[in-house]
Amino acid sequence: MDDSTYREIVELALNGSGQHIPPTKSYLIESRLGPILRREQFAGVAELLACIRARPSSPLGGEIVAALTSKTTHFFRERAAFERIVNHVLPMMASSAPGGKLRIWCAGGSSGQEAYSLAMLIGESENEALKDIQVEILTSDISEKMSARARSGKFGHFDVQKGLSIHRLLSNFSRLDTGEWQVSQDLANRVGVRTHNILQDCSGLGVFDVITCCNVIGGMGSQMRARALVNLARQLSDSGVLVIGKDETATGLVTGLEPSRDLRGAYCREVTPGALTAAA
Amino acid sequence: MKSCLIVDDSRVVRKVAGRIVQDLQFEVTEAGDGADALKSCRENMPDAILLDWNMPVMNGLDFLRALRREQGGSKPIVVFCSTENDAEHIGEAMRSGANEFIMKPFDADIIHSKFAEVGLV
Repeated sequence: MDDSTYREIVELALNGSGQHIPPTKSYLIESRLGPILRREQFAGVAELLACIRARPSSPLGGEIVAALTSKTTHFFRERAAFERIVNHVLPMMASSAPGGKLRIWCAGGSSGQEAYSLAMLIGESENEALKDIQVEILTSDISEKMSARARSGKFGHFDVQKGLSIHRLLSNFSRLDTGEWQVSQDLANRVGVRTHNILQDCSGLGVFDVITCCNVIGGMGSQMRARALVNLARQLSDSGVLVIGKDETATGLVTGLEPSRDLRGAYCREVTPGALTAAA
Repeated sequence: MKSCLIVDDSRVVRKVAGRIVQDLQFEVTEAGDGADALKSCRENMPDAILLDWNMPVMNGLDFLRALRREQGGSKPIVVFCSTENDAEHIGEAMRSGANEFIMKPFDADIIHSKFAEVGLV
């Protein structure tokens, strides 16, 4: 891949998803775009870019941006935070939940493992406070391909053995003839799926009591990170919490967002109402 | 250092799993069948056992049942690791005293994840 091609791809990714692809990671470009190149029968990335330049309204541009993003996820990846959300945060919110309903959004949830993990924990909870509460979970990703996978509720042999005990696997999945495992109807009923880019306005998705965005924005530059956080935070309910990965931070990036006192590493809206903006 | 006994009639599996488990900071010993494994446990009860099902002389299930009847036999954390991937087999292994179950084929991430599930790492 020549220099100008690499630079064009980097700019496409940066503007489309905020993703930062350093020169040391340029090998990722070819490997992640491989399936598209083969499908469309392009000789290389340069040809793919030429096609997009010739037809700027083609959905291929969006598909490339999505294909370049990292999809890594596994069940119970943020186990401690998820357990605290279900065992502590949700019960606390339950008494004042309007219409007895609480909403969770897993933003950038890739193929859905995070959302299904939360659904499993909620299903296992014996907490009285959650007994009559309906918890709706939405998982979204910039990639239509990942959303389709999440919607299918089907996971492969290796995926169902990472982060899942054998007990949880048998309780929540059934084995298909293909060797894949299908989430139970119970789990499927709790989880909804959308394709969405968090760098764009999220108001269409509604308001949420818990928003998780784990290991999604870390690879973005600070400006894009702030933009994503503002968009997410705007969808928080008054007492809602925003949870990011345990190795990530949002401190100092958004005015109007402060660390949560109920959940370490999470954030909530400042009590004094004011517009949420990227910190100067 | 914690010890792990790897029981499998395939030398290749014992070597591959052994390397993965060593990387998790375990001292590794091997056995090629259930009878050998039982003998090894009687000499030195390990902290963990990675156990195959189908083996000559004595299979994994019979070994596990015998192990749990031994003095000190409830101590090792047993992770079954088998190609028998259906609910009936898995259920039988768990009822016989296994702590976790890995469906073959496995990779290093799976062993790491399952060992973490049972508190070995």
